[in-house]
Amino acid sequence: MRAAAIGVALAGLGIATYLTVVHYSGGDPVCAVAHGCATVQQSDYAALAGVPVALLGVLGYLGLLAALIVDGENGRGAAAFLSLGGLGFSVWLTYVEVGILDAICIWCVGSAICMALLAALTSFRFVRGPGMTEV
Amino acid sequence: MSKQATLQRRRAARIEAERAAAAHETRAKRLWRLGAVAAAAVVLAVVAIAVSSSGGAKPAPPATTSSLLAGIPENHGVLGDPKAPLTVTEYVDLQCPICARASQSTIPAVIRDEVRAGKVKLQVRTLSFLGDDSVRAARVAAGAERQGRLWAFLEAFYARQGTENSGYVTDGFLRDVAKAAGVDAGQAIGQADSAFASGRLQRADADAARMNVQGTPTLTVKRSGGAERVLKASPLDAAAVQAELDREAAR
Repeated sequence: MRAAAIGVALAGLGIATYLTVVHYSGGDPVCAVAHGCATVQQSDYAALAGVPVALLGVLGYLGLLAALIVDGENGRGAAAFLSLGGLGFSVWLTYVEVGILDAICIWCVGSAICMALLAALTSFRFVRGPGMTEV
Repeated sequence: MSKQATLQRRRAARIEAERAAAAHETRAKRLWRLGAVAAAAVVLAVVAIAVSSSGGAKPAPPATTSSLLAGIPENHGVLGDPKAPLTVTEYVDLQCPICARASQSTIPAVIRDEVRAGKVKLQVRTLSFLGDDSVRAARVAAGAERQGRLWAFLEAFYARQGTENSGYVTDGFLRDVAKAAGVDAGQAIGQADSAFASGRLQRADADAARMNVQGTPTLTVKRSGGAERVLKASPLDAAAVQAELDREAAR
């Protein structure tokens, strides 16, 4: 389960890194499946207090990876905290895309799915505790 | 079964029961901890959402105006062929959200199908009854008109339209609009207090009063040499507006 969580976090990190690079390079994200990535990326919601949301995603996924690697009681708690907080914010951003911007960014949806999976995995690990052997 | 074996079995059962109770207690404790972690995560997410939602309300429009107006002449704020038989006048307030909606549906259809075809020329009267932001916007729009970019300015303004009378029509906002519309911002803002701009506002008010305009947007049509009349079709119903214009042209 820990390995699965690390894998999902790496996928999320990849997405967030790509969006961060696109943000700072001034380009538009490749948006083959659903159109609207540029609209979302250029919206006022793409930054939080001046910090690009994509960069916050990179930091969040790095923090999650660190918590998963460190493991232990504190690591499990930190991973659950970060993924649940990230999931809450991802849900909000998805609402913004659909309800306000009327544009879907497939990369953001991918990241939200990663965060939902991580929230489930890390919460289960946290409740289960370190008693069982990790895979 | 010997007495010793019975004791051993009872002891094993007791140990197992204690272990199960301890495991249950541990799991309950962990669930409580997860609840605390989740509550903290909710607080984190709510703070992030609060900061995010105060950041803005709409996507940043493209940095350049659309191709809608490309190649169409604009003379003194009149868009299209000066010899077009019909003149359509749009009465707007730049702060009016319905006007912004019309600018995304009906007006593009009229420009694309009627103005480009040389059947209609389009002009606008920028009213300013909604508040100070409307006045400022209308005055700078007059500056854009002097540069032959009024319709590009309107399009860019509507794409960025903010909350009514929130004070959002600042010089910074107007510079963004002007930049997107290809308007010299310094010049347009500098002319906001000119007699020309004042004249444009007065003309808009006078024409609206003459036509008994009751709200914005209102569309009127006038044949060459004829009288101006308010369109019966809803300004938000592009098909109905075009049909009415076609009937007027066929008369």
